[in-house]
Amino acid sequence: MTNFAHPSEHAALLAESVADFVRRGTTVARARTLREAGAECDRAQWRGLAQLGWLGVLVPERFGGMGLGITEAAIVAEGLARGLVPEPFTATAVLAVSILVGADNEAFMAEKLPQIVTGKLLPAVAWQERAGELDPGATDAVAVAFEGGFRLNGVKHFIAGAVDADAFLVSARHAGDLALFWVPRDSAGARLTQQRLADGRSSGTLGLTDVMVAREGMIASPAVARAALAQALDRAAVVVGAELVGVMGRALELSLDYMRTRVQFGKPIGSFQALQHRAVDLYLQQELATAVLAEAVHALDGGLDGAPRAALASRTKARASEAALRITREAIQLHGAIGFTDDCDVGLYTKRALVLSAWLGNATAHRRRYARIAAQPGGAHD
Amino acid sequence: MIDYNALTDDAFRAGLRVFFEANYPRHLRFLPRRMRWHECRDWYLALSKKGWLAPHWPPEHGGMGLTPGKLIIYFEETERAGIGRMPDQGLTMVGPTIIRFGNDAQRRKFLPPIIAGEHVWCQGYSEPNAGSDLASLQTSAVLEGDEFVINGSKIWTSMAHDATHIYVLVRTDRQAKKQEGISFVLVDMKTPGITVRPIRNIAGHEEFCQVFFDNVRTPRANLVGELNAGWTIAKGLLGFERLNIGSPRRPLQALEQIEVLARARQLGDNPAFVERLTELKLDLADLGSLYARYVDKVRRGEALGPDVSMLKIWATETYQRLSELLIEAAGEYGAFEGEIPVGDASVDILSPFYTSRPGTIYGGSNEIQRNILAKYVLKLPG
Ligand SMILES: Cc1cc2nc3c(=O)[nH]c(=O)nc-3n(C[C@H](O)[C@H](O)[C@H](O)COP(=O)(O)OP(=O)(O)OC[C@H]3O[C@@H](n4cnc5c(N)ncnc54)[C@H](O)[C@@H]3O)c2cc1C
Repeated sequence: MTNFAHPSEHAALLAESVADFVRRGTTVARARTLREAGAECDRAQWRGLAQLGWLGVLVPERFGGMGLGITEAAIVAEGLARGLVPEPFTATAVLAVSILVGADNEAFMAEKLPQIVTGKLLPAVAWQERAGELDPGATDAVAVAFEGGFRLNGVKHFIAGAVDADAFLVSARHAGDLALFWVPRDSAGARLTQQRLADGRSSGTLGLTDVMVAREGMIASPAVARAALAQALDRAAVVVGAELVGVMGRALELSLDYMRTRVQFGKPIGSFQALQHRAVDLYLQQELATAVLAEAVHALDGGLDGAPRAALASRTKARASEAALRITREAIQLHGAIGFTDDCDVGLYTKRALVLSAWLGNATAHRRRYARIAAQPGGAHD
Repeated sequence: MIDYNALTDDAFRAGLRVFFEANYPRHLRFLPRRMRWHECRDWYLALSKKGWLAPHWPPEHGGMGLTPGKLIIYFEETERAGIGRMPDQGLTMVGPTIIRFGNDAQRRKFLPPIIAGEHVWCQGYSEPNAGSDLASLQTSAVLEGDEFVINGSKIWTSMAHDATHIYVLVRTDRQAKKQEGISFVLVDMKTPGITVRPIRNIAGHEEFCQVFFDNVRTPRANLVGELNAGWTIAKGLLGFERLNIGSPRRPLQALEQIEVLARARQLGDNPAFVERLTELKLDLADLGSLYARYVDKVRRGEALGPDVSMLKIWATETYQRLSELLIEAAGEYGAFEGEIPVGDASVDILSPFYTSRPGTIYGGSNEIQRNILAKYVLKLPG
């Protein structure tokens, strides 16, 4: 269970209610069924998440949310990931919500955020254009002012939660800087395609050809857009780190259980020292990932900003991605042939680890970003 | 009858190359999975007609009777042409076993249908509770008159759903020490009492099965070798199999995929990537050197000792590391299923990841290989 949050009754209660939600939902089986159908969001489950308040975990109370922090968002994300819940919690309730909250369109927030909190409205964020590119400003998409609104052109890739999204938060160059726009899914000129991912979910590509957005649809003006997107991406990277910690935690747990029960040569395989040392090394990776995650959620909730925030987010995502991939790969090996079957849950965790570690920058990309930040004056130190 | 061994190496190689290039179906080249019987039957029969199906069998049984040196050329050319793995247990395992340990009646009855493509064999060794510790197998065969009555189940049986016959290791003496009560028996899959349940693997393919035996009667005449001598027979068969699994060809394919991707994504400009790639290239090049040493041994007619285990370890783990670099180098594409377009080529990012997993599990897991090296090569105390 969660051990990255500062121990408190409130954190423990939240973690317990997430675990309870996962237990009652028999979600690993459900993840399998949705996978076969190529679906990733069951609207009934989504409403369930809404009723518990979690879709509004980061939404200020004045907009109907819980007004909590990254710590709580991470607790929810970790718990859902342990149960392989496929719904796009982080994509919507963390990434999209953080952008809206960090932006400067108060009227828009007042209209949309309450609908997100109740689960009625499910937005996804379309910001990235090239694999490996983590700079939110590196965009070729453009928005040109046009008859009281804007005309958008460009192509966005790697959109999580796109399958069920009702609308997209799109970044585009505008007036010499960056701005963010609200593009409903059925807008004329918007074309969504989906590519299947390892875990059965999808990555969306959004093509925009002369898509018209009304003036009110500018969510973030150039004055704040870049900073709002950068902050949202760092928060999301940290929360994906929490998901990865959940994935690796469960995969390691399954492996340790198996090592205790699987008997070969007359003993549990967990009694072979070669495997014991392997398990300890994996545990060590899990604890490193948990430690950096703990530091990150605490610092982000404390208001850490700028380059130090980016550096810490990159450390978290890099370690969590690397550790989750390693632990899940080794989990297959420790299970032997059973680990190579579709029936074995370990494979599902491996695939989720593949998807989460690639999304929002993999370990390599985040290490590169960390190195760039550390080389700047002021560097990665907070 | 052609004496292939009298040809120069170059002439022999050229002949194979021309035939393979001209006759092996394009769409089956470098397949990322094992071929099903219905896909490769025509190719099997084409080889059979040419007399090139069984390179290592003696000519009197329909083989090419190749010397080790020529045999290695045959394997090299097979790999070069990207020829996939057929359900080949008849050719690689049962045939040679019957030739070496069987009697004349068995040779007459079972060898010609293998060459003719009428019998397709699968290997029934592993059981749910006997994997690494194969000698603890429990499937029993009890003699009743001139029949064995078999009860139990085998698992992970590759291609059992395509097979007409299965060779099984069965327990024929419960009192003896575990290795000494095992026999090697041939069974027709049409015998009443056999049920085959295909098992889906992690990549979604049905390549292996569980095979159930419920009072299955097989003639005593199908016992190969002496009663209770099955363990020695099974162990006596590891030769080229172990050399084959150490071949650099599979990992080389993964390396080629990385290079296609690296060109398209211009990763050559990134020194960290270049260094990592070079490290793995040298791992692979040095695998080639190690492999060549064993090939030379075989060519000289020397037996392979327990040290050949290191070839398996290095080959399978290098393959896995390459598959992991491919994913890392793909960035956000690292979790995409199927072929993704890169530049003017396309790359399947995940399939090397899946295909490289079982190499460290089957054929004696890499943990077991390390135990063998520690005990029999380094002679460390046990
Ligand atoms: C794709 C695939 C195809 C196969 N095809 C066939 C086939 O056609 N016919 C057939 O008979 N079998 C087949 N097998 C089965 C294969 O031979 C077994 O998977 C293998 O023997 C390992 O057994 P296990 O899977 O039961 O793992 P286990 O033996 O249960 O091992 C689990 C883990 O414990 C480790 N371990 C076990 N003992 C020790 C020890 N003493 N010290 C340290 N570590 C140890 C293992 O290395 C592994 O990591 C296939 C397997 C796969 C994956």
